[in-house]
Amino acid sequence: MVNTAPLLAARGVSKAFFGNPVLRNVSIALLPGRVHALLGENGAGKSTLINMLSGALRPDGGTIEVDGKAVSHMTPPEARQAGIAVVQQELSLTANLSIAENIGLGAYPRRFGLVDYSSLASQAREACALVGLDEPLSTPVGELSLGRRQMVEIAKALYRKPRVLILDEPTSSLSATETRILTDLLERLRSQGTAILYISHRLNEVMALCQHVTVLKDGSVTADRPLEGTDAAGLVRLMVGRDPGDLFPKWQASPSRTTAASVRNFSAGLVRDVDLDIKTGEVLGIGGLVGQGQEDLLLGLYGAIPAKAVSSEVNAYQALPGGVPKANALGLAYVPADRKREGLHLIHPIITNLMLPAFARLPALKPRNRGSERDLARKLAAQLGIKGDLNRPAQALSGGNQQKVALAKWMPHDPLVLLLNDPTRGVDVETKREIYIMLRQLAKDGKAVVLMSSDTPELVHLCDRVAVVREGRIAAMLEHDALSEENIVAAAVGADKPKVAA
Amino acid sequence: MSAVPSTSGQHSGRLYWPVQAGRNVGVRGLFAVVLAFIVAYGFLFPGLFTMSGFAKFTQSWFPLALVAMAQALLMLTGGISLAIGATVSLGAVIAATTMVGPLGVAGGSALVAAAGLGIGAITGFIVVKLRLPAIVVTLAGSFIIGGAALLILPRPGGAMPEWLSDLLAGNTPAAFLLLVAIVLLWKLYLATPLGLSLYAAGENPVGAYRSGVPVDAARIAAYALSGLLSTGAGLFVAAQTGSGDPVIGAAFTLNSIAAAVLGGIGFLGGQGTMRGALAGSLLLSLMISVMFFLGFTPVAQYVAQGLIIIGAVALPQFRKVQR
Repeated sequence: MVNTAPLLAARGVSKAFFGNPVLRNVSIALLPGRVHALLGENGAGKSTLINMLSGALRPDGGTIEVDGKAVSHMTPPEARQAGIAVVQQELSLTANLSIAENIGLGAYPRRFGLVDYSSLASQAREACALVGLDEPLSTPVGELSLGRRQMVEIAKALYRKPRVLILDEPTSSLSATETRILTDLLERLRSQGTAILYISHRLNEVMALCQHVTVLKDGSVTADRPLEGTDAAGLVRLMVGRDPGDLFPKWQASPSRTTAASVRNFSAGLVRDVDLDIKTGEVLGIGGLVGQGQEDLLLGLYGAIPAKAVSSEVNAYQALPGGVPKANALGLAYVPADRKREGLHLIHPIITNLMLPAFARLPALKPRNRGSERDLARKLAAQLGIKGDLNRPAQALSGGNQQKVALAKWMPHDPLVLLLNDPTRGVDVETKREIYIMLRQLAKDGKAVVLMSSDTPELVHLCDRVAVVREGRIAAMLEHDALSEENIVAAAVGADKPKVAA
Repeated sequence: MSAVPSTSGQHSGRLYWPVQAGRNVGVRGLFAVVLAFIVAYGFLFPGLFTMSGFAKFTQSWFPLALVAMAQALLMLTGGISLAIGATVSLGAVIAATTMVGPLGVAGGSALVAAAGLGIGAITGFIVVKLRLPAIVVTLAGSFIIGGAALLILPRPGGAMPEWLSDLLAGNTPAAFLLLVAIVLLWKLYLATPLGLSLYAAGENPVGAYRSGVPVDAARIAAYALSGLLSTGAGLFVAAQTGSGDPVIGAAFTLNSIAAAVLGGIGFLGGQGTMRGALAGSLLLSLMISVMFFLGFTPVAQYVAQGLIIIGAVALPQFRKVQR
């Protein structure tokens, strides 16, 4: 432990988006010469916290302190001036500019008002050498692989010679060699007195690299302590240990299960060679860290993105649907996560949204029967508890009710397999409960419900089985008896694997 | 790193020129097509290789080259302008009503430049600061600017100094030299931090903002420069015709978009190069001339022009799909 004053600190900061609290009274202090880990599940508030530390967001309450002095309205340029650099999770690079031009972007060396390319070259080369980028500096970034772009992003932060370096999941797209280079580099920067905040889901890296850890859970700090004497299992417990309460209906095994769909060596998008059986009468959970291929798995099964499989059977049809209309005809329905853009037509009336799948099935030029449409829509609304005038635009509904509309529109077609992409994201607790009851009821009625979720408790308490996806493969298939948040998170981060000597 | 050649900082050519060469990659095919068209054109019309033939040809290309640059500049920022034609007209009538008067050529030119910069800056301010769609703002702008041109000169008329017309539209390659100068000035602008920021501001505005790029300033400056290029084209057209015409620029709006698209400028911002846009305008200009010499009727010319533009845009897409 180095006993020095923090270079950058947050003191009791809070932040809410649209009345939804994301951070509550969070404090964190970054000391020189220390690698500080920030852990937490998806949606725990990590990104919001680093956005506040780097001036991209302003806290609602509490203060940000630089060198012990409170700064009220820090902007990104001021944060840079104070020596704070961030390696963002989503890249800030421009594909058409060269590596060097990207590294210097926003802080070009100048001579006579022009970009001084010769000093840009030498400074950018210095930064690149630190991260082992040996591509010519004139290479357009658009020609690089994702991992190399990530290294450019890191070099861009180093180019600014930061005193405080914040890295948001820097290794998520790096190869093992690149990760090793980064680890060595951070070790060196630390010994030179840089304060480093390191966000990662890979616990092995955190254990090897960091000295101090802050754990966020649902926007609050649950641990802030030296990493010494903590093991990976302990960290996982700190990340997930919460009280599920009585949010979930009591789980009961469904009596009859038959296979509704099954695929062997299925590949689509990020997903590689996955075997999966989807059974009626059960809720099958799909878990894992964000962006490991879960969405591609659903979209591939639904025929919305190209997919292939060695053998497959969907509702007694001996092939993949290959297209959305065919998938619908086979009894598959998909409810997307982004209901505002993919799930609903927001400016159109609720009734139109409810009727859309029906329109798709009618002969193209058949006159509409508005009376029966109204009756059906009313019945659906009553069934799912959608309140109010159905002629209002869908955007007038709350997030939870929008989600119900996105779900309800498939009900008239009696789908056998429901593919749900994070159906409770951004939904209030009461509606969540209603949705949970509905999903269990659907399973009981003999449907196959596939629930992809970023919310681990949901997977534990609602599902009969959970497939945990990591790097495009099913890392673990957990049966109901083995379901626990610890097991799911451990499989998602690969903590069950033997530790790699670092 | 032993793999890195340790030649850092010896001279800027180590980075600047490879970067420039790298920007040729996407437009090599286009350059080849343009070259083929030049050969065809020279074959059909051998006069191209005489001084006066070359002069006339570059003069017919010059205003299209300017408006293509004006449009490309905006498309690189993720914007577009439907007011380019009206701005060209305004430049023409201002030149034709001031240059033979007490203001003279210098005063008239200054007024033309100020009008272009001013109109562009105001348009840019509205688009960027009020966050309105560029296509709507510039459509409205085209009515206002076109109306202003008609107020200044309700009917074709006015006059240009004869020596200026002779200089710009006579038998000397003055227009070509002017174009070379403008291209050099563009290279200079692109070598400033503000100019280079154009690409980042167009392609990834959020990332650029987080990197400390003055995104708004870069975009407003692009609109101002685009206005300047447009009124400059108007001045040239007035010199070519010896008078001002308040609707002479109308065709330039769509032709500028066509030239930029032919040159590989994307609609999403940050994609493409100015050399591509220039080559696109040259190709469009050559196509029009070649079809004219081949005896296409004007209607057939339009149809052929449209087909070629669609083909030129579709070709890279096909190649992308195949890869």
